[in-house]
Amino acid sequence: MRTGEVDLSSRINPQSKRIDWVGYFFVIPFFLPFFLFSFVSIVFGAFVAFTNWQIVGETNFVGFENFVKFINDRPAWDAFIHTFYYALLIVPSVIFLAFLGALFVNEKLPGHTFARWAFYAPNVVSAPVIGLVWVWMLDTQYGIINQYFGLSIPWLTNPSWSIYGVSLASIWWDLGLAFILFLAGLQEVDRVLLEAARVDGARRIQSLRYVVVPLLRRTFALILTLQCISTFRIFSQVKVMTNGGPAGSSSSVVEYIYDYGIAKFELGYAAALSLLLFILIMAINLILKKIFPDDDK
Amino acid sequence: MTNSARLLSKYEGKKLKKSNILFWIVGMFFALLWIAPFVWMVSTSLKPADQVMTLNIQWIPETFTLDSYRKVFEYPVLRWGFNSLFVACVATFLGVTLGAMAGYAFARLRFPGNKGLFTLILVSLMIPTELSATPLFIAFLKIGLVDNYLALILPSVASVYSVYIFRQFFKGIPNEIEEAAIIDGASHLQIFFRIAMPMAKSATIASIVLLFTANWNLYLWPLLVTFNEEMKTLPIGISQFSSISGSHAQLTSFGPGMAAATLLSIPSLMIFLVLQRYFVEGVTSSGVKG
Repeated sequence: MRTGEVDLSSRINPQSKRIDWVGYFFVIPFFLPFFLFSFVSIVFGAFVAFTNWQIVGETNFVGFENFVKFINDRPAWDAFIHTFYYALLIVPSVIFLAFLGALFVNEKLPGHTFARWAFYAPNVVSAPVIGLVWVWMLDTQYGIINQYFGLSIPWLTNPSWSIYGVSLASIWWDLGLAFILFLAGLQEVDRVLLEAARVDGARRIQSLRYVVVPLLRRTFALILTLQCISTFRIFSQVKVMTNGGPAGSSSSVVEYIYDYGIAKFELGYAAALSLLLFILIMAINLILKKIFPDDDK
Repeated sequence: MTNSARLLSKYEGKKLKKSNILFWIVGMFFALLWIAPFVWMVSTSLKPADQVMTLNIQWIPETFTLDSYRKVFEYPVLRWGFNSLFVACVATFLGVTLGAMAGYAFARLRFPGNKGLFTLILVSLMIPTELSATPLFIAFLKIGLVDNYLALILPSVASVYSVYIFRQFFKGIPNEIEEAAIIDGASHLQIFFRIAMPMAKSATIASIVLLFTANWNLYLWPLLVTFNEEMKTLPIGISQFSSISGSHAQLTSFGPGMAAATLLSIPSLMIFLVLQRYFVEGVTSSGVKG
């Protein structure tokens, strides 16, 4: 909670000791589906991870067998490594570009409402659109990107390029949310502080470095966390652009899980991999929390 | 409310000066670059088949034709579109309603477990929805809840984002309004419907934009629970037009693909275009303040 924001619910008033039982009436309609479809299914998933659930045959408890299988499953390791690769490529690019975009729009120069729409627009379209449009744009021979820059990069058809091709589309797709959150953060930055910095002779770049960026620390942390979570879950763009190929070179964890769980119907193994990814994401969250503590300063 | 007033006062634009002209050119260039894929998509969709795969870039088609769209409509696109619209509308309506109620309770009402339940919601944000998809799919399969609207809608009605946005908004309403209403003998239910909700315009719009686009674009879950062609949603149906890269089997198929992509993206792009100001305001006031 920010300082200066008054926590209204705790303000002393004549009814401060009241208990609003009606509160349960307000939250139950939300919590019923929430528990059923989010919580219970996660717990159930953790349970399935220790079984050998498949389309045929009996379902038995198998202990850690699925996890042992993972250790020797080379393509699964590749999927995890690729996912880290995606995160390294996508997260910094999205944050950097989104911040620049937000700085530009926040200047309120002519055309800023158009720019605001343009930067957020890709975020509102669905995965198949990404697949259709970017497979076309990244086509080796006729694709507009190679044509414009006079390249002949096999973006999606060569194992050593496919991750870059998918990342390029992902950066375009993901930028919007980070951008809008940065913009919201920038609009909270006190104009008075910036004016003061200017009066003190700070150049634009200095006030950016010493006033804006420190004030936006929490926004940075929030965006970094959200973007990491979403990139470690990268799935639909991989599915629609390359289907993990060529030769598994662009597979991601969730895409691999989908292949096992749905196509091969090895639900036990798919659930075990899900559990591993969940633990990984939690660990990254905790690390980020350590680096950017939620202080009230 | 002060927030929105402050925001509006900032809307008056600035003039271009010599000192910021370069900055402006670079910024606008990137904005144009960012929507270029959409322009290229629409442009390709309107070209005749033999002008699509060429080695010169034409942003404006030499000859316009709706052939690609005709090809797309050979599939049950209208049915898919209806499915998507119906599912997205119902899920969004429920998501916003349940979110507003829960958000109001978390912000304004005191009951045991208030803080704990809200923390639980926030923690659940860290859990990727894809991870609960597999077990949820098993459960739905077991009870035969597949290939119908209920199966498509149910898992997305509890939206954490909506709760969060409304909670942050309702926290900002001055206590006096509520106290006056209570003295007048209003119940919390009446306060919620008659006073709180009418004030929460920006939060409602922000939630609607966020939930509608999310529901309209849902990909993994509908892919899992629809087997029948009739029950597919638009994104699932239309993904059949994509040629997973490398397969140049359907060389001329980029045209229909772009027509399909255009049909799929126009509704959400339009909604965002119309509501963007309120949306930004809603996001700002719900804030990144935590």
